[in-house]
Amino acid sequence: MSVALPKVLCLKKGTLLKQVFALGRAATPRESCLCAAGDALVSCHRHYRSRPTHGIGRFKYLLPKEAPKRRKDKVQMKEINVGTEYEYGDVNIQMTSYDMCLVEHFAQYVHKLCNRFSVRVNESYAMPTKTNEVVFLEERGSKMQLDAVLTTHQRVVQISGLSSTFAPILLEIIQSNQPEGVHLLVKEHTEADFKRRLKSRPELEELLAQMN
Amino acid sequence: MVARTAGHCGPRGGVMAAPMKRAAGWGRWFCTAAAPRPWRLFGAMCLLRLPRITQPLEKEEEEMAALMEQIELEKSHYSDHEVRKLEEEEQLRRRKESAYDDDDEAPGKTVIMAQDLEDKWEQKLLGFEAAPRITDADKNNNRTSLNRKLDSNLMLLVKQKIGNQELWLLPQVEWQPGETLRSTAERAMATFLGDHIQAKILGNAPYGIYKYKFPRAIRTEDNVGAKVFFFKAFLQSSDLSQAELKEDYLWVTKDELGDYLKSEYLKKVNRFLLDL
Repeated sequence: MSVALPKVLCLKKGTLLKQVFALGRAATPRESCLCAAGDALVSCHRHYRSRPTHGIGRFKYLLPKEAPKRRKDKVQMKEINVGTEYEYGDVNIQMTSYDMCLVEHFAQYVHKLCNRFSVRVNESYAMPTKTNEVVFLEERGSKMQLDAVLTTHQRVVQISGLSSTFAPILLEIIQSNQPEGVHLLVKEHTEADFKRRLKSRPELEELLAQMN
Repeated sequence: MVARTAGHCGPRGGVMAAPMKRAAGWGRWFCTAAAPRPWRLFGAMCLLRLPRITQPLEKEEEEMAALMEQIELEKSHYSDHEVRKLEEEEQLRRRKESAYDDDDEAPGKTVIMAQDLEDKWEQKLLGFEAAPRITDADKNNNRTSLNRKLDSNLMLLVKQKIGNQELWLLPQVEWQPGETLRSTAERAMATFLGDHIQAKILGNAPYGIYKYKFPRAIRTEDNVGAKVFFFKAFLQSSDLSQAELKEDYLWVTKDELGDYLKSEYLKKVNRFLLDL
């Protein structure tokens, strides 16, 4: 019995092996056809769950855990302006114009210039556009009203860590490269500037007023 | 003699007493140069009028700009005005073909067509006249006027008497103990142009320095030479009617400086002039 079993097993194994080989031979030509048909760079081996290469690109588990983001207003940082280092704190470079492409290109130029000079750029944002309607009232017998719609665009580049010896040079370069039609304003960042970016919520303010 | 020694401790005292504390660099510089050699200090002001027009484009820049404009035009969508214009043209065409069959608009209402608006705007544009880029002062080469060379920086040069020579220089005035060099430069500007000048100095640090030794005849132990510190100021308004210019003055560009300034002086001045 024991002698017979191994024989049976061997036989079975043999048949199994033969079947496996047959399957293998049947499988590979098909796979190679696929390889030939597709791109040479496409690998035939997917990183599927059953393959040993599953999860080969994982890295997020290696990074330190991030604190969950809270939807709260970020308090602005303010550096000392008058200090032994003679450095400016947060400085806003505000560019205003009627022409949006021009002002955006200029803002990009200023940003790249600051990067080039290793001046740290905190933020580069846009203020909401203001639309003005120009109405002409010509009173010469028949009152005519000519309307024109002007949109004013403003871009702000916020830099920090500007040394007082370099500031005049940077300002001069920006001034010399100012395009026509763009109004330039350089000022220190204040809380009022920060608040101007946020929308006021009248209902909340009403409720607060009612509470107090 | 006493005045000279007072001159040494003066600058250091000046740094401490200065209300504006953003003078980096030159305080440290002074400590190294203070002790034995007595130099006379001058503060000079380089008053710049910024360009009012952009410089003309190079040939390649113009070609590129034209190409980009054409590409953008072909890629862009129609604006509201253009859509309206096309629709109205369609309507007109349809009305002409169908011979006033569907006349939706009541005859009393006057409809302003997009084409009419365009004609009106064209008329307005023809009425507009741009100011000339090359002004009269350019044609006459009148170097005392500010209207010249609207696309480049203009600098003020004044004729001053140094020693026994009359030289063309940037306006300069001797430094007095107890004041900062920046205020010396402002004083220099005020002496030559009067008090009502709207010029803006950006920082407390000087832009350049020119030092020279006096000729051997005048040189003494305590009076070796002079150091001139340059400051830059930008003219805010081009209205100089209130300025009382006492002596000869000129407004020149960077290229024309060579006609007036001496070579050594010119070299130092050129180092801090930005001409883009």
